[in-house]
Amino acid sequence: MAFPHRLDAPELPDFSMLKRLARDQLIYLLEQLPGKKDLFIEADLMSPLDRIANVSILKQHEVDKLYKVENKPAVSSSEQLCFLVRPRIKNMRYVASLVNADKLAGRTRKYKVIFSPQKFHACEMVLEEEGVYGDVSCDEWAFSLLPLDVDLLSMELPEFFRDYFLEGDQRWINTVAQALHLLSTLYGPFPNCYGIGRCAKMSYELWRTLEEEEDGETKGRRPEIGHIFLLDRDVDFVTALCSQVVYEGLVDDTFRIKCGSVDFGPEVTSSDRSLKVLLNAEDKVFNEIRNEHFSNVFGFLSQKARNLQAQYDRRRGMDIKQMKNFVSQELKGLKQEHRLLSVHIGACESIMKKKTKQDFQELIKTEHALLEGFNIRESTSYIEEHIDRQVSPIESLRLMCLLSITENGLIPKDYRSLKTQYLQSYGPEHLLTFSNLRRAGLLTEQAPGDTLTAVESKVSKLVTDKAAGKITDAFSSLAKRSNFRAISKKLNLIPRVDGEYDLKVPRDMAYVFSGAYVPLSCRVIEQVLERRSWQGLDEVLRLLNCSVTKEDKASSESLRLILVVFLGGCTFSEISALRFLGREKGYRFIFLTTAVTNSARLMEAMSEVKA
Amino acid sequence: MRRLISACLCTGRKYELYSMDWDLKEELRDCLVAAAPYGGPIALLRNPWRKEKAASVRPVLEIYSASGLPLASLLWKSGPVVSLGWSAEEELLCVQEDGGVLVYGLHGDFRRHFSMGNEVLQNRVLDARIFHTEFGSGVAILTGAHRFTLSANVSDLKLRRMPEVPGLQGAPSCWTALCQDRVAHILLAVGPDLYLLDQSACSAVTPSGLAPGVSSFLQMAVSFTYRHLALFTDTGYIWMGTASLKEKLCEFNCNIRAPPKQMVWCSRPRSKERAVVVAWERRLMVVGDAPESIQFVLDEDSYLVPELDGVRIFSRSTHEFLHEVPVASEEIFKIASMAPGALLLEAQKEYEKESQKADEYLREIQELGQLTQAVQQCIEAAGHEHRPDMQKSLLRAASFGKCFLDRFPPDSFVRMCQDLRVLNAIRDYHIGIPLTYSQYKQLTIQVLLDRLVLRRLYPLAIQICEYLRLPEVQGVSRILAHWACYKVQQKDVSDEDVARAINQKLGDTPGVSYSDIAARAYGCGRTELAIKLLEYEPRSGEQVPLLLKMKRSKLALSKAIESGDTDLVFTVLLHLKNELNRGDFFMTLRNQPMALSLYRQFCKHQELETLKDLYNQDDNHQELGSFHIRASYAAEERIEGRVAALQTAADAFYKAKNEFAAKATEDQMRLLRLQRRLEDELGGRFLDLSLHDTVTTLILGGHNKRAEQLARDFRIPDKRLWWLKLTALADLEDWEELEKFSKSKKSPIGYLPFVEICMKQHNKYEAKKYASRVGPEQKVKALLLVGDVAQAADVAIEHRNEAELSLVLSHCTGATDGATADKIQRARAQAQKK
Repeated sequence: MAFPHRLDAPELPDFSMLKRLARDQLIYLLEQLPGKKDLFIEADLMSPLDRIANVSILKQHEVDKLYKVENKPAVSSSEQLCFLVRPRIKNMRYVASLVNADKLAGRTRKYKVIFSPQKFHACEMVLEEEGVYGDVSCDEWAFSLLPLDVDLLSMELPEFFRDYFLEGDQRWINTVAQALHLLSTLYGPFPNCYGIGRCAKMSYELWRTLEEEEDGETKGRRPEIGHIFLLDRDVDFVTALCSQVVYEGLVDDTFRIKCGSVDFGPEVTSSDRSLKVLLNAEDKVFNEIRNEHFSNVFGFLSQKARNLQAQYDRRRGMDIKQMKNFVSQELKGLKQEHRLLSVHIGACESIMKKKTKQDFQELIKTEHALLEGFNIRESTSYIEEHIDRQVSPIESLRLMCLLSITENGLIPKDYRSLKTQYLQSYGPEHLLTFSNLRRAGLLTEQAPGDTLTAVESKVSKLVTDKAAGKITDAFSSLAKRSNFRAISKKLNLIPRVDGEYDLKVPRDMAYVFSGAYVPLSCRVIEQVLERRSWQGLDEVLRLLNCSVTKEDKASSESLRLILVVFLGGCTFSEISALRFLGREKGYRFIFLTTAVTNSARLMEAMSEVKA
Repeated sequence: MRRLISACLCTGRKYELYSMDWDLKEELRDCLVAAAPYGGPIALLRNPWRKEKAASVRPVLEIYSASGLPLASLLWKSGPVVSLGWSAEEELLCVQEDGGVLVYGLHGDFRRHFSMGNEVLQNRVLDARIFHTEFGSGVAILTGAHRFTLSANVSDLKLRRMPEVPGLQGAPSCWTALCQDRVAHILLAVGPDLYLLDQSACSAVTPSGLAPGVSSFLQMAVSFTYRHLALFTDTGYIWMGTASLKEKLCEFNCNIRAPPKQMVWCSRPRSKERAVVVAWERRLMVVGDAPESIQFVLDEDSYLVPELDGVRIFSRSTHEFLHEVPVASEEIFKIASMAPGALLLEAQKEYEKESQKADEYLREIQELGQLTQAVQQCIEAAGHEHRPDMQKSLLRAASFGKCFLDRFPPDSFVRMCQDLRVLNAIRDYHIGIPLTYSQYKQLTIQVLLDRLVLRRLYPLAIQICEYLRLPEVQGVSRILAHWACYKVQQKDVSDEDVARAINQKLGDTPGVSYSDIAARAYGCGRTELAIKLLEYEPRSGEQVPLLLKMKRSKLALSKAIESGDTDLVFTVLLHLKNELNRGDFFMTLRNQPMALSLYRQFCKHQELETLKDLYNQDDNHQELGSFHIRASYAAEERIEGRVAALQTAADAFYKAKNEFAAKATEDQMRLLRLQRRLEDELGGRFLDLSLHDTVTTLILGGHNKRAEQLARDFRIPDKRLWWLKLTALADLEDWEELEKFSKSKKSPIGYLPFVEICMKQHNKYEAKKYASRVGPEQKVKALLLVGDVAQAADVAIEHRNEAELSLVLSHCTGATDGATADKIQRARAQAQKK
């Protein structure tokens, strides 16, 4: 099933170096505080930390006890406290309260705060305001790239999405630029850069400045990675909002994959304990089904089970020597495979139970109708029913957003009534959620008439391209428009259906959405790679706003290693789609994302919940 | 100067560096003199305080280069000076009688001053020495109370008062500062005794093997590296040994009992020969291991400057260098030397004369297999020659010899050529830094460049960098940056001209920091120039701190935003916040969206009130509304407070022309009040439930009337109400009420949901009731749900709907539905026939 890569596809670089770098730096920082110390770790950092350094490594460097940073007073008796946190004001208050409590009790201890991935001035400022700046020493752990898999690097910054796309906070852009700089010093230089979106542009520019400041380091080195794409999440909300039907995506939607591993509950393990499973290329069973459409997975697994049985059966009729061989060499592998197989079969069953029901089919049908843009009324009333029945606040919201983006905003009547219904069903605090969604351009009202677009296109005909770009920028800040329909037509995102789409032998990247839709983000990348430039995509670019390019064709023709950077998160469906493209065309893709995301995470990031 | 003994000594030689025409007004002996080592500058201060002259005449401090070119001259206006000395950074330290030390630059520019402490101030300074240590330059002071105070490093001033010498009544006959094991000591002589003062104790010491009969030490000298010490006694006897006094190297009796004016060591590093130069008024004597001394007669007042590998001697008219002849030179130039280098030199000379003797000499060297050595010798000797013609002839010989060698690595030759070129350039009269090859190597090219920069010899420094191909950042850029820093101090040139000149010269040279230059300009009080210079700084991040310092915060803000560094923006914001009044601060923010959102983020967590003010200032009623809504959930506890917050929010929304939000908020206020009432009247929890959940709770509690009232009041649409009731009644399993409800009027959501919900509760009986009422288009689905496959098939066949047929077919399982399946197949076949 899992198709092999073409022979001319390049090898992936070895990203374990990033882990080593991060580990060494952390150890160095811990050693800066000699002697026994207690380590307070922020919850969000625990899983990433676990992938870098386990408890025994921490113990080796004289970490005594581990605590979670939470809103409770700590009961540490150590003379030295070390905090490993994200640069958040909330955490600073926590540290300050601890220090101040000690001061009241007349106790003096050593405190050290290690910020990851970087320190923000605002944090130090809070420490200062709370009167503990002098008592605390601050350090940075520049750990911004966690290799989750052989081809997936995550910055593990889910807040990037809300901070940038909702609050307009550009703090993390610097972190992105630093990460890119690190990659280019280790694996660079990157001859071709393409970017879409404002954030991509800023990150790119900041990154260039960094490179220029440290000129000469990467000069003269042979590039390994030929192209780099920077994509803003808001360029393609649609893909992220769709229900995922590829196995890995489904597992993420259903069980939530966290930092490359998932907790399968009792309903999967069919025992009373839950099981933590690391999902990556090392899991042989998973590796073969991760990119498959869900409808194929079950068949594959049962075939696999039969093969396994056959392998077990071979031991009948073995003589003693063969049996000895079998036990010592194969049995362990088989057992391992057996274990994995049963886990995934359990997961599949659990997903089936949830998803093969009537409502899921209808949900998918509605999504496809929205993507194609027909039966809008029917879809709208489906969504209304969804809300009325209180199916799920997040799901309802997702459908509303999908409707809004594909339709370039809701018509005023629907906009009001859907919102009213939603507030009645899920609570009035979501008034704030709607205000957020509107600001982020996820759920908007259609402007009376298409005046803006009309004026815009007139203007752009009159003036030069560059100026037009600026004007487009200006317009888009007036009203964030998605233009999905036009882009979809231009890029042919909805494949023409002639006959049944064979999901077993996918034709194109649309298979990740059951053949109904090619992910926009992936299509753009495909087109650029095919044309070796933006050439012929001018209209699309105009619709998507803001782009950056740096091309150095001479050196890059043969480079088939491609880095795709998603700013604001990417979904497993997009990853699967690009992996498919890579296999077809002989590319290898490397993914760098601020965090792995899905529709639910996006919606949650926008939601206001009562404290 | 007249020679007493011919110059063909085997241990020492003397050559003239410069003939001085510095036109001294005073005799050297009337002046305080200080000459910096490594061919450094000479400072003279006529000493009016020693003689009983009229104190009204102010003395002049003059500074000359080693070649006698005047560098500075200034009228001395401060107190009496006891001693002058140069620091390692070529700064002139002038120790005053009151213990104050004034520091001047090479060009007579005043740098700073520091004091040697109260004790010194009270007891006055009797004598002072400036000495050099690993850390920098030190000052040692002998006070009028015969106590010593010293500081080992004047740039990091830590005063140390040395312990008292027991029984010391008068001033010591001579003393010196020593530096051993990174600690500074004082060695002093009182009568026949020597004392070593370190930080904690004073210990008497005796030089090993000192000749008897010494009743007093008249002079002592420490070598350049602090390794050796020489003592001159009143018996005319000179003891030379290690600085620890534990080992005697040699001794000499010169039979002159007059105290010498100066005594300095003259030896090169790692040399076995020891020699000390002793100077009296009219006599100079070089004494060493040999039984004979070398003597010179001094025609004029002369002054000795100890160097690393020799002694510089200058007087009114000349400046000479006396040193031990290096081995290589000695080998070559010794009369009738048969050393390979000497032969090679000879061979080359003959070759130039086109004489066949060249071949003979060469063959002689080659036969001994010493050609490589010969070349090396010539190269080395060239380095030690002062005169370019001598250097040339030696290098020519080396080059000639090289031709006959197969594999002689060229770099030593090339490097020597380069070094000599640099040395000759700086030895030039106009530059006046007479460095020897050994000194140059010890000093390093970097320090030499610094010294050229200090002398403002920028073009020469740059030429040297370019000639030696030093990396730009270490070489040219650094010098240009220094030049620029000097340039901004030229007050007579306009800001524009200076900025332009600097930019023209520096351009985009890597490693040049415009912000550093600008900081210097600001330091000189030229703010405008600093801003102009900052414009050239490519890294915005570097511009900001200085702009803030210069109180150009608004400019700093836009630069910070340009840099994309949010931390930098934040730093500026905090500055602005303290600097401007609130209104102006907000106005500034308003024009900078990026800064504004950054500050908002901060306020959200740290200063909620400020956030509100920000929105107010901007008339951002939408956000203000959201702010109050959030407050109604987070900040307010009491219901009245919450309603009040919502009211404020609603008002804000009206102002924002967001009627939808305003209405929704008002509804919420109503709901809150109502929920409160419900809680009071019915008990249970209602607060903070959504409208839907409130109604559901009422139905579940059996308060149908209230529920309907609420639905009417809040205009809950029919569809929702039906869904709601349906779900609630099924949850209650109140099938009777459900049936009644279903018949109350025609269902707006159809009857399929009824079937579904009954099946969910596993009540097939009830489900079937509703299945019959389901509309035709959903009938098949309903029948399948209740499990009536046969009837579903009939309906589907009747509808002739292909999709429905296959749906039913997919539900046909096993033998029981076999007949039905057949029926469908038949119907299909029929349909196809048609």
